[in-house]
Order: sequence, then structure tokens, then C-alpha cells
Amino acid sequence: MKTVVIDEVTKTFGTHTAVDGLSLEVPRGSVYGFIGPNGSGKTTTLRMIMNILYPDSGTIQVFGEQLVGACTDRIGYLPEERGLYKKMKVREVLEFYGGLKSGRDVRKEVGRWLERLDLLEWADKKVDVLSKGMSQKVQFIATVVSHPELVILDEPFTGLDPVNADVIREAVLSLREKGTTVILSTHDMGVAEKMCDFIFMIFRGKKVLDGTLAAIQDRYGSDTIRIRTENGASAFSGIDGVEKVNDFGQLQELRVTRDVDPQLVVSQIMARTRVSSFELTRPSLHDIFVRIAGPEAEESSDE
Amino acid sequence: MSKVLKVAWREYKSTVRTKGFVIGLVVAPVLMSASGIVMALTKDRIDTTDKTIAVIDRSGMLVEALCSAAERRNAATVFDEKNGEKVRPAYTIETVAPSETNPDAQRLVLSNRVRDRQLHAFLEIGPGVLHPRTDRESARILYYGENAAIDDVRGWLGGPLNETLRRLRLSDAGIADEAVPDLFDYISPEPHGLVSIDAETGEISAAERSNELGTILPPIAMLMLMFVMIMMGAVPQLNSVMEEKSQRIAEVMLGSVKPFEFMMGKLIGGVSVSLTAAIFYVALGTWAVRHYDVAQYVPFDVLPWFFVYLISAVFMVGALQAALGSACNDASEAQSLAFPAMLPVMIPMFVMMPVIMAPQSTFATSLSLFPLFTPFLMLLRQSSAVGVPVWQPWVGLAGVLVTTLLFVWVGGRVFRVGLLMQGTPPKFGNILRWAVRG
Repeated sequence: MKTVVIDEVTKTFGTHTAVDGLSLEVPRGSVYGFIGPNGSGKTTTLRMIMNILYPDSGTIQVFGEQLVGACTDRIGYLPEERGLYKKMKVREVLEFYGGLKSGRDVRKEVGRWLERLDLLEWADKKVDVLSKGMSQKVQFIATVVSHPELVILDEPFTGLDPVNADVIREAVLSLREKGTTVILSTHDMGVAEKMCDFIFMIFRGKKVLDGTLAAIQDRYGSDTIRIRTENGASAFSGIDGVEKVNDFGQLQELRVTRDVDPQLVVSQIMARTRVSSFELTRPSLHDIFVRIAGPEAEESSDE
Repeated sequence: MSKVLKVAWREYKSTVRTKGFVIGLVVAPVLMSASGIVMALTKDRIDTTDKTIAVIDRSGMLVEALCSAAERRNAATVFDEKNGEKVRPAYTIETVAPSETNPDAQRLVLSNRVRDRQLHAFLEIGPGVLHPRTDRESARILYYGENAAIDDVRGWLGGPLNETLRRLRLSDAGIADEAVPDLFDYISPEPHGLVSIDAETGEISAAERSNELGTILPPIAMLMLMFVMIMMGAVPQLNSVMEEKSQRIAEVMLGSVKPFEFMMGKLIGGVSVSLTAAIFYVALGTWAVRHYDVAQYVPFDVLPWFFVYLISAVFMVGALQAALGSACNDASEAQSLAFPAMLPVMIPMFVMMPVIMAPQSTFATSLSLFPLFTPFLMLLRQSSAVGVPVWQPWVGLAGVLVTTLLFVWVGGRVFRVGLLMQGTPPKFGNILRWAVRG
């Protein structure tokens, strides 16, 4: 059963095509990660799912229905930037948003969520005195307090410290356990790798990745060597079969040229320097992202 | 409660629960009363420094009369009869012989004496003042002073000068001095309303005497009340919507309500704020006019029209403001649109006096039937003593309702697009395109 079905959707703003012939299916009860560079079309896609923006062509079905020109009360939406009435008190603004969405009294739920996210003592304070992280948590509660069946989170971890990020992450995963579908837009590849059942990448308005992390990584194969040596990155210059070196200081990632045996590369390095550890692995999501959207990809597409 | 009402209730609460609203509600009438009290208290606060006026009388006929008139005036008005306190300046006339050789030099000398505060001003009476129609140039009376145009002394001098000249002319014509007061006795027509039949007794009731204040004040009060209520309920929509857009609140709201519902909620909230304040002021005003026994001047029959116009006007102007606010990205853009957005509210204030003076004129009628101005100018005309033909308020209201619907519809289209259009400047072409395309 699909919660969201996007079929050949295109959206343009003037001469700029923000989303170009996009098709996507989001299964019910999954956490679906949207990744992509800034301006690639993520937020536009999310807004179209929310029916805030309408596609120029193609269709979007949510819960099996095409909802043109109407908002849906079964979707919770956390926008990229916080949208809270600053002069209202925390509890009031949550009861307002929750009541508006669900059409019922949500005072009890608001109380529970405030307690869960450790915001009870701020409940009667005005929003404008909250820190960025606390505002983010309040916005998250406003998104989920009405028990939506689909939750759309646009950059939910921005501005959060690790402790609060964990709190939100746990809350998101508990929503999934209860059957809620979660669409999550993020620039944090670690979050996408760890949390998402499916990952979708959009680049220049077009879908470039879609599937589970394992399936995506399988497309690239085990072409990466993670290695620690005595001489660091300087040990790899001039070694045959190394396409790219990602230097993380203590650790380097080597991308091996297609059809070259990684064992040969390792043996060349071992002949040059002492190797502390090495691992033959599939590329990380970060690396895949950079391969698609990084300067290297820009250059190759220009050619 | 529907979503529209939920949004409206939040808007209403967020306004009326602020200290600014409560203080403004109470402070506004207090300030207005205080300004009236201050004006009343200061109206007699005038400069009581004695004033010497030099007079060059080239006719040779008036300076003595001026001296006598000044003495009479000083005796009668300078000191308060009851407590002997000096309440006005004494005027002293200093006779200066005309210079036949160099009149300009004489004027300069006198001007310098005025600058040195030895004189308040000086007067130069032409030789031909007795028969000015013979030679206008020689009949001029010139008053020289630092603040001559608005000087009280100049105004006073005109009285005894012309009174003396008339006496002299009548004397030339052979009319005795004794007859002069009777000849120039001036009887002013007393202002009265129209005679009508008393509804209770069926008899002809005498017309009531009217006065300027009672005629002009009620329409102005009605107009000002309408203006203030629109300023409270409709005009803030521009900044409110701009803030909701720039703070991304609009994006969250549009996840829960349709753009039109959002705008309608805001407009209903604005109407509720205006009605709350209007009811408070009308109740307070009703109590005040009854307490001070001036209720007969207040057109209570116009109050239902006031509230109907008020509701329509807040919707109409509020929709315009909300649409423009949705096109703005920040406070500076909102500021640049604030003046044109205020024009429908400001123009009726500019033409207020001509409409009050002639409520039945073509100018007043046609402007009051223009829907944007009807809530102000038709109300003003209805509140005047003259009134308006029965059909006009209904035609005006029909125009207002149609225009309100149009504004809300068009405003909703602009609102929907503008609210999510970040970074696009609020150019007239853009707004028009959003209104047409939706």
C-alpha cells in the first residue's frame, strides 16, 4: 500500500524547472529520506505533496486520492524554517496548530508531547524567548500532535544539539512503529543512512537515486577502500587504479577504478608504507551524493 | 468550530489581549478629552504685553478716532471686571507725522523701531481713504509688522477705521450721527432646523435652533470613528500577513487551511476587533452625550448603517491590505506599499469638509457612491443635518457589497500566490498577474 504516489510531475517557476518529470512511490509505514543539493527541488516536491503548490503536469496521490486544491488534515508538515507565532505562548500555539489540523481538543496530547520532549517548563513562555533548538522541538510537536498518518519533515535536525537530535530521532522512529509514514528531507547523510528505509535523491529537479540504501550502494559495488597508513594521503600518489582519494586526516577513502582489482591497489600501498588497517567496502551515501552532485560531476556533465 | 473561525479567533485574541489594544481603547478617548480640555484651558492664554502702534495718517481724518477707540477698548477689555486681573494687552496709538520728502526712510525708521521692540507695528493710511472708489491706490491702508498677516491688532484696527470712515461718508451725505447706529445695526439670521409634525401629538412642532458645532461635530465624529476602526481592523493586515510570510508561519498554516480560509479567518478576526472597539466607543459616546444632554445632536438612526458599512469596509480594505501584504517579503517592502494601500482610507478624510458643507452637491453625491469611499462619505452625509435621499444609502451599500466580494475574491487569488512567492518584489505587474491567473 502506497501512501504517496507521484507520477510524472513537473513544476516550473518562470523559466526555471524545479521538478522535472518526477515519479516516486512512498510505501505506508516507511521512513523515506529525501536528499539532494540546495535548490534541487526537494522542498518544492514536499510542498506539492502538501498541496501548498500544485504541479504544472503529472499527478500526486496521497492516501490513494488526488487532492487538488485542498489541504489535507492527515498530513503533518514541518517546514525547513520555523513558522511559529512568536507572541503566542508555547502551549497556546501548539493547541492552535493541533486544533486547526485535527478539528478537536488536543490539550492532552500537547501536554504529553511537551513532557516527552522536556518542554513542560516552557509551556507558558512565549515562543520568542525559546532557543533555536527548543523552537525546533515545538515545531515538531505542532507537526505530530494531531496524529497525522503522513508526516513530512523538511530538515528536522537543523539547529539541534546531539541530545535533542536524538530525542527527535527517537520520536520519529516511534511514529514509524505506530504505522505513520515519514518523509524526511535532510542534508545529513548519516541520518539518511541510519534512519531511512528508502532514500530518494533529487538533482536539478530529476530523480537520480531511489531505493533502499543497500540497493543504492549495490549499484556502485565494493569499489571503496578505507585505509589507515603511516604516511597518510601522501602514500597514494601515483598508484595505479585509484580514481579518487577522500582524505579525512586519520583515515582515507580510495575510490578504485572500475575493473581494477582492489587487492592490487592495496598491495601497491603496502609496498610503499606500513598499513594500520584497511577495509574493502561499498561507497557511503555521502560519497555517492558527492559523486552525483559534487564538482567532479559538474565537470563531467559540462563536458 | 470551523477552521476559518479558529483562525479568526486566534487573530482576535492575539489583538485584543495585548496591552496595546486595551490601553489604546481607553487612552484614545482620554487623549481626545484631554486635548479638548487643554484647548479650553489655553484659549484665553494670550500675550498681555502692551502694544504701541505708530500711525502715519496721510488723510488726517482717522488717527484721533483710532486713539479714542483704543482708549475705549483698553478701558473695557484689558482688565477682568471681577478680579482686576490683566487679561488682554492695552493698545496705544502713537501719531507720527507723515514725511513728505522721504517716506521710504520714514518706513525704515519705524520698521527698525518694531525690530527693537519699541513698537508692535505701524500703520500707514493713504490720503484718499474717504472715497476709495475714486483712486484705489491712494486709498490703501498698509499695516507693517513682523507677523502682520495673522496679527490680532490688524484685525482690531479694521473696525474703528471703517466705522469712522462710514460716519464721515454719511456725514458728507447729510445723515446725522444719531442715525448711524440704527443704519448699521446688523441682524444675523438664526439657524433653525425644519418644522415638522410631532409623531406623538400630531401637532406642528417648532423648529429647533441649530448651531455650527452641533451640525459639524456628529458627522465628523462618525467619520473619525469609522477611520479609526478601519485603522484597527483592516490596515494592520498588510504587516501581519507580511510577517506571517517572512516568518514562514504562512507555510505552516497552508498545511492546515486553504489560502482563502486563511485570509477569511484573518479578515473576520479584523472585523471582530473593529466591532469590539466600535461597540465600546459607541456605548461610551452614547453615555457621554446623554450625560451632557447633547443627545439631540447625535444621529442615532445612522448607527445601524455605521456598523454595516464598518463590516463591509474592514472586509474590503482588509482584503486589499492582506493581498498586498502577501506580495511583500520584508518590512521595507511593506512600508513602500503602505501609502498606496492607505489611499482608499485617506482620500475621504481629505474631502471631508466640502462634503459636510454641501452634502447634497453633485461632488458629495458622486464621491459617496464610489464604493471605496461609500463607508466614509455616505455615512458622513447621512450623519449631517441635511441627510440624503432614501435610495442613496441602499445603492451605495449594494456597490460596497459587490466591491467587497470582488476585493475578497481577487485578494484571495493574490494572497494564495503571493504568500509562497519568496524573493519576488511586490511590483504592480506581478500582483496584477497573480490576480488574473490566480
